[in-house]
Amino acid sequence: MNWKNVVRLISIEIRSGRLIRGQRLRRYRENRIFQYLLYGGACVLGLAIGLAVGNFYNGVHDPELKRLLDEGARSIFPSLPTLILISSMVFTMMGQIQRAGVRSSIQPPYWLPITWEEHTLASTLAHLIGVPLASIILFGSAIAAFSTFLGELPLAVFTVLALLASAFLASTTTEIFRVLQVRLIGAVYKSSGKAAIWVRFLGSLLFLIAFYVVWFALTSGAGFVTLIQVVAGAQEAVWFIPYLWLGLTLASFMSGLLVQTIIFSLASLLFILVLFYMAVKLNARFGLYEPPAITISRGVYAPKVGFLGKLGFSSLEAAVVRKDIKAFTRRRELMYIFIMPLVFILMPLMQQLGLFGGPVASEPSRFLFTWILLGPGAIMAVMLGTMIIGEEGGAVWHFFSSPITARSLVKCKYAFIVIFSCVVTLVCGVVGILVMCPSLDITVALLIESILLIFALSAVSLVMGIEGADFTEVPRPRMVRPLMSLVNMILCLVLASVIFSPLLLYAVTVGYIPLPVPLPKIELSIAVFISAVISLIITFAFYKIALKNAEEFLIKAEI
Amino acid sequence: MLSTSEYAVELRRVAKRYADIVAVDYIDLNVKYGEIFGLLGPNASGKSTTLKIILGLVKPDSGSIKVLGINAQEDPVAVKRQVGYVPETPRLYEFLTGLEYLDFVGDIYAVEMSEKKMRIEEHLSALDLEGREGDMINSYSQGMKQKIALISAFLHKPKLLILDEPLSGLDPKSARIVKDLLRKLTTQGVTTIMSTHILEIAQAMCDRIAIMYEGKLLALGNMEELRQKARLPGSDLEEIFLKLTGTEDIRDLVEALLK
Repeated sequence: MNWKNVVRLISIEIRSGRLIRGQRLRRYRENRIFQYLLYGGACVLGLAIGLAVGNFYNGVHDPELKRLLDEGARSIFPSLPTLILISSMVFTMMGQIQRAGVRSSIQPPYWLPITWEEHTLASTLAHLIGVPLASIILFGSAIAAFSTFLGELPLAVFTVLALLASAFLASTTTEIFRVLQVRLIGAVYKSSGKAAIWVRFLGSLLFLIAFYVVWFALTSGAGFVTLIQVVAGAQEAVWFIPYLWLGLTLASFMSGLLVQTIIFSLASLLFILVLFYMAVKLNARFGLYEPPAITISRGVYAPKVGFLGKLGFSSLEAAVVRKDIKAFTRRRELMYIFIMPLVFILMPLMQQLGLFGGPVASEPSRFLFTWILLGPGAIMAVMLGTMIIGEEGGAVWHFFSSPITARSLVKCKYAFIVIFSCVVTLVCGVVGILVMCPSLDITVALLIESILLIFALSAVSLVMGIEGADFTEVPRPRMVRPLMSLVNMILCLVLASVIFSPLLLYAVTVGYIPLPVPLPKIELSIAVFISAVISLIITFAFYKIALKNAEEFLIKAEI
Repeated sequence: MLSTSEYAVELRRVAKRYADIVAVDYIDLNVKYGEIFGLLGPNASGKSTTLKIILGLVKPDSGSIKVLGINAQEDPVAVKRQVGYVPETPRLYEFLTGLEYLDFVGDIYAVEMSEKKMRIEEHLSALDLEGREGDMINSYSQGMKQKIALISAFLHKPKLLILDEPLSGLDPKSARIVKDLLRKLTTQGVTTIMSTHILEIAQAMCDRIAIMYEGKLLALGNMEELRQKARLPGSDLEEIFLKLTGTEDIRDLVEALLK
């Protein structure tokens, strides 16, 4: 293995992730301080935590409390490798999910004199760059600082080594998963024929929802404590699972069982090597795999007027809306947009049902119903609005070269955002009504409110989406400049609060939100009416701004 | 804003800079109706920028542009309605099938439904894309994508075609079809401006040729006029091009590379 090649490949991976786009993609800029800030910050934070815990530990003189702390440390230390393994696996897989939208894969390794071992090792190590590596540094530095108070430096060194090995193990597993899923997905598409698009759409949604539900379940307060307890308690009972051997190595070391420590250490090492070579073999076998072409239609071509034409959209506007619908159901990087609203419904529902270790709610929460009706549609409008122009990517030249006016552009993009978000609200509303059976007046008021929010926030986000459009596609589609996205989120939050404030006032006056001083009651219909007026003013104003921005956008076309 | 003009495209003192790089340096250019006009030049000579300026994809820093008698800066949408464009590296909507893409372009230019169907089917058949039109474009080869881009430019029967390297990646049969099609279109009054690096194609196809270098127009005319300008009677376009762009003495360079 040529280690220089490995280092060079990792450096390419790092750069591909750090590519910062200037106004025109001419020069590559990088900030070395910023590059290492995350790791430096993790190290400083880890040392501070370690020192604080160590000082606290030293300050304890009560023998009973000291014994409890020792026991706590003894249970946490052996569970750290497994925790790092889980978190690294989640983060590296998240990285892979994000890279699913990468347009140009890094192919030179396939024709340059680089072996599959070098390629696989570099890819595996590169997965760890970012949050996984920062987590290891955080835990490692905390342990190193704390162990000086315990007088257990060898244990600290051993733990840090185990953490590094765990992260590598996780990353190797992700690499295997990555290669297998490319092969598997290709085979599924091939056999699904015309249904491939729906298989891909629903499959991706289900996978991502399951992934995020597990992730939130693990990282929510109660879920995380439960996880540590489970790992600490059950590790030895399921010793035959190779992924736990690193944790068991530490547990054996802390118990002074030398033979067991050596056996688990060697077994862990062997397991990592086996996994790594499995990843190498899979890369060599399927690394160059090209997914088959997805055939969507066969037979006689029959153009149609379509529903949108009947609604008063010109052929040009209807064509753009239809194209966008296809984009959001076929482009994997755009399918993410469906995940958030779904997760936002599932998470509170699961919390309500006590699935994350918390108590089961005795009665349906008004807040939860409000959230399910208002949240997903509004979030959808904000997300769609900001990315609806930037998602065009390099293909934006179609707009610049075709006879599309600013009015048509804004009309069709705005219509698409509103239609999609209203569908989400409708679906969420049905789920919310079925699960929580709210009163009719509240349901109607919240549905109207949701639509008012969608209308206003779509216009606001479209303005920001045009202003902050980013057509960069490599290494992955950016769609909107992060700063503009942040500004839009804050602005939308403020404006949504303003639109919703009459209903909030109603909730206060009828006692849904308790106040020490009772206020005179206002009618729900009046609150909704005031809210509608506010929403319409905001919608009108921002739609006008969007038209102006679109005019400038089409004139300043520079591609 | 229509005006009577003998030229399909008129550029007057058009300039464009990108920071410290001069892409187009105050050029004047007239393209006649119904001619095939070739725009040649080494890499980064300003050809693509000039084509983009004509179409309104790039706003010039100065100068005026008239396309088909319309002031392109005053009414760009009216110009775009009558122009078919193929960029150097066409980025198509890869999540659409070839058929869906052409349907989309047809709708963008408001092509009547029965005509759209007929023209799409004819072009797909002529360029050997039948059988693959229902596949997503992301599975197409570069040549197939180029064919789709060309069809999309012809679909709405434009009066002016702006083609940046139109034959790039095409197989010999398709290239021949496109060349013959462009020739036939000139008889119907369609003007074509094309940029290419394949000088044999330019020599064979173009009525007039402009050679650009470092943003300037070095020479303009038919083959005979170019020969006179280069003082190379009887020579082909490659020799003229190399002489005018000052790159004719390449023997030393090759010798140096072989050392």
